[in-house]
Amino acid sequence: MAVSNLAAKDEAEIDKEDRDLSMEKDFDIEIKIKDLCISFPDKEGGAPITALQNINLDIRQGEFISLLGPSGCGKTTLLRTIADLQQPTSGGISVRGQSPREIRLQKKYGIVFQNPVLYDWRSVRRNVCMPMEMMGIPKKERTARVTKMLELVGLMEFGKKYPHQLSGGMQQRVGIARALAIKPEILLMDEPFSALDEFTKEKLHEDLLRIWKKTNKTILFVTHNIQEAVFLSDRVVVLSPHPGRVSAVVDITLERPRSLEIKNTQEFNELVVKVRKSFESL
Amino acid sequence: MNLIKKALNSKKMVTVVWVIGLIILWEIGAAIVAQTKRSPENVLPHLYQILESVFSTNKVNSTQTALQIVLSNAGITLLRAGIGFLIGTAIGFILALLMNMFLTVEKTVFPYLMIVQMIPILGMAPIVLAITKDINKSRIVIAAILTFYPVATNTLAGFKAVEKEKHELMYSIAATKYQIYSKLLIPSCMPYFFTGLKISAPMAITASILVDTLQGGGGLGTMLSQSLKHAMSIYVFWQIVFFSAIIGILSYYLMMVIEKILSPYKRKGPKVKAEVNADEKTA
Repeated sequence: MAVSNLAAKDEAEIDKEDRDLSMEKDFDIEIKIKDLCISFPDKEGGAPITALQNINLDIRQGEFISLLGPSGCGKTTLLRTIADLQQPTSGGISVRGQSPREIRLQKKYGIVFQNPVLYDWRSVRRNVCMPMEMMGIPKKERTARVTKMLELVGLMEFGKKYPHQLSGGMQQRVGIARALAIKPEILLMDEPFSALDEFTKEKLHEDLLRIWKKTNKTILFVTHNIQEAVFLSDRVVVLSPHPGRVSAVVDITLERPRSLEIKNTQEFNELVVKVRKSFESL
Repeated sequence: MNLIKKALNSKKMVTVVWVIGLIILWEIGAAIVAQTKRSPENVLPHLYQILESVFSTNKVNSTQTALQIVLSNAGITLLRAGIGFLIGTAIGFILALLMNMFLTVEKTVFPYLMIVQMIPILGMAPIVLAITKDINKSRIVIAAILTFYPVATNTLAGFKAVEKEKHELMYSIAATKYQIYSKLLIPSCMPYFFTGLKISAPMAITASILVDTLQGGGGLGTMLSQSLKHAMSIYVFWQIVFFSAIIGILSYYLMMVIEKILSPYKRKGPKVKAEVNADEKTA
């Protein structure tokens, strides 16, 4: 009796510990996506088109996550829904226990688009500055942050240039600096490097990883490039089309910090193959 | 052959060739007219005759030379055209803003704008004159009416041309409506706005001259019709023709210069060649 009591007590305690652990885990989770479905009305009046079906995904704080898939798989839609640019049809997303809208209104998202979306009439410095102006950050602080951000993306000497004077890669760096300048908690990147040539892209990959390590943001990175996803991410979320759903989540176990040489290793290639196979098995 | 090709390719050369061609055509015409008409200067005088009249010190009425008449009357007309142009610009810009902000305004107002624009200025001018009962006010009103439409439509097109992503970026940092207009829409519509101004500046001047012809009381148009009716030297007419053409072109360039001053990013700067590398040292 006494023994069994003791055992019961132990079990209860272990349960409690487990719960504590899972609570802690929950606390770590930055973005929780639960049963998310999104459908668009058909233009010709037919049945609605399902863009995303039953997406379940937990993203931890500080994680680098890639959403990978062919076009039409809804990866951008998923990112846009997290950014509150798109409303879910059913299911939901919570970010730190709040709705995407609340997070957006608190200005905790930094967004980098496929196009740099720079303001032609503003110099590089003033482009980076713009979101801060709108948030009412005092001028002294703005200037300091702009300088810091330009240093971070390696554009210190180009602050006075105008966007049309910069190369595509540099424009995209300005976009990243601008997104980071408002000190967001979460960086959402929608195929930011897909329009760049391979050499520029590789440079930006290394720089992005360094910036990520330095700033410790959670990064959601949409891409259709397998190598890119494997090189950058902690986890690659593979999405499949018609309707868009998560078909696999691949842990990328490569050690950090990563340099371009890692692409020559056996391990890297095996991971690329593993990700690719998860497409073939669709 | 190659030399000619090269010369034709440069923009300045094209202009020069055009101007020379025009002068030759004019002079050929003038030579023919001089032989066939009794008073050739009424139809097509030689260019040097017009130029001579500009520098001539002969008084064409009791007190003034031809050039003095043109310049003093130009002052009256251009000032009114300028005021009308500014008013029209302001109205056009505000209309564009309202149409962009409220779809109902666009739906209701836009058709009327098009109708106003379609009424020929010659038909509208007497009506405006009858309403205002003042030639000076009419000049201003007509110049304003001709100005506001190109400004309104071009500015509205500028607002609509802003990429979706730029709006989304604003949305993502929870920008207010005022901020969206002041930081995004108004700056990015500027090239369109200036296109409108470049169209309407010469039009405002033309309209103002046209209104002059309806009534006496000074102005380039009044002198133009008086000169044609032989109330004074015909060279006043020719001088006004050239003067207003030059002023019209200059008004276009004036808008271009203002645009360049206001938008430094349009000035050509060298493109940065090298791709940068943000390494650990700089960071």
